[in-house]
Amino acid sequence: MDFIEKIGKIFFYLIFSIGKIIHFIFFFFKYSFKPKFYLKNNLKYFVDIFISSIPIIALTGFFSGMVLALQSYTGFSRFSAESAIPNIVVLTLTRELGPVLTALMISARVGSSIAAEIATMRVTEQIDALKTLNTNFYNYLVTPRVLSLTLALPIFVTLVDFIGVMGGYIVSVFRLGFNENIYLMNTLNFLSFTDYFSGIVKASIFGFIIAIVSCYNGLYSGKGSFGVGTATTNAVVTSSILILIFNYILTELFF
Amino acid sequence: MNIEIKNLSKSFGEVSVLKNISMNIKDKKSTIILGKSGCGKSVLLKIIYQLINCDEGEVFYGKNKEIDIDTFGMLFQYGALFDSLTVAQNIAFIDHINGITSYKNKVLLSMKDVGLDSINYDKFPSEISGGMKKRVALARAIYKNPKVIFLDEPTTGLDPINSDMINELILRIIKKKKMTAITITHDIQSALKTGDEFFFINDGIVECHGNCSEMLKIKNLKLDEFLAGVKKLQKTR
Repeated sequence: MDFIEKIGKIFFYLIFSIGKIIHFIFFFFKYSFKPKFYLKNNLKYFVDIFISSIPIIALTGFFSGMVLALQSYTGFSRFSAESAIPNIVVLTLTRELGPVLTALMISARVGSSIAAEIATMRVTEQIDALKTLNTNFYNYLVTPRVLSLTLALPIFVTLVDFIGVMGGYIVSVFRLGFNENIYLMNTLNFLSFTDYFSGIVKASIFGFIIAIVSCYNGLYSGKGSFGVGTATTNAVVTSSILILIFNYILTELFF
Repeated sequence: MNIEIKNLSKSFGEVSVLKNISMNIKDKKSTIILGKSGCGKSVLLKIIYQLINCDEGEVFYGKNKEIDIDTFGMLFQYGALFDSLTVAQNIAFIDHINGITSYKNKVLLSMKDVGLDSINYDKFPSEISGGMKKRVALARAIYKNPKVIFLDEPTTGLDPINSDMINELILRIIKKKKMTAITITHDIQSALKTGDEFFFINDGIVECHGNCSEMLKIKNLKLDEFLAGVKKLQKTR
């Protein structure tokens, strides 16, 4: 009986949480299209996350591309299909690894900081202070973060795609002895706009997920430093899981 | 503006924090809500300010049920300053986020009002003392010239000298600007110094109320217990 009771409690908690997050998203859309927009604040936040995330994004793309070239070579050389390596590198990066790895890195780098920042504001009554100063929480804190991540992720993914291909190129040309012109030609010939576009759409949706989940966890954090820590962990774990789930759903759609 | 609270109740889970509270806060008077730590004073203040909802009851602001947030200001218990903004940006928050940049003179005037040196203008909250943070928070609360000001434990975390200075400051500001003030405190010295009227809350109900000047003479068992410390102190003097 105890076991069934626990399962019931978990089930109701899940339903309650889903309801709360839908309510949160509803309010985000409701206030996002209402004045005040705080354009300066939005722009500042976009620039901040953009500049601070570039190094980590560049490293992710570069090493992923290099590893991908090496691992593909191990497999394809067994079937004398080494010439397919440029295609594999570019397709895997644009369609799959670029958006997913970028989203996971941004979730850890930016999502955690959003959750921690908002949770700290909650704990120290800064969120209440915003209300007393006639400032809407969604307009001032949520909208800039959601818009920035939704718009920045596609740019990050484009960057990861490019740097990743360059990483693959370096390993293939200087380590595996590929002809540099043929490598680049094969890369460009096999890449279609749909491949790139599907990655960009994924990136945008992942950006939205990271921002919403992080803001939500920050706003509904528990009390004290433990609450801030839990909110941060929950934000990263939940957004990472959702990224993986939505990655499958979106891949099915673009298949 | 009179603020009338009628039959207000609030529970958190199974814990009933406020039970059928009614009170009348008079216009341009300084009203003190007194009680032990954890008796629900801050919850009451947040309900009056509509920061949280009550389970039952009503609050009337003059004749209205809806609060006009621009005519209200609040000093939070621990300041609630925005730590990523400077002192000036905190005080002029409304102007700052709306892109208005010509607030320097108004901020300096507010800083002078609360006894803050202009040297602190560009400092961040982490760079100033606890007493100064309270002053900045007070300056932010009065920046928009509110008609009603809420003060949540204004002397919490301050040493006796700073507490006294903050009390003097509050008294001077509410008299000068002719505001209605509602102060939540468990600091009796602060209540006696800054209040006109008081409500004593115990176990979620209004145990007694009256003029602050007569607080020490009122006969009430719960209030007596609460004031025991102060009376004892006065006797030894």
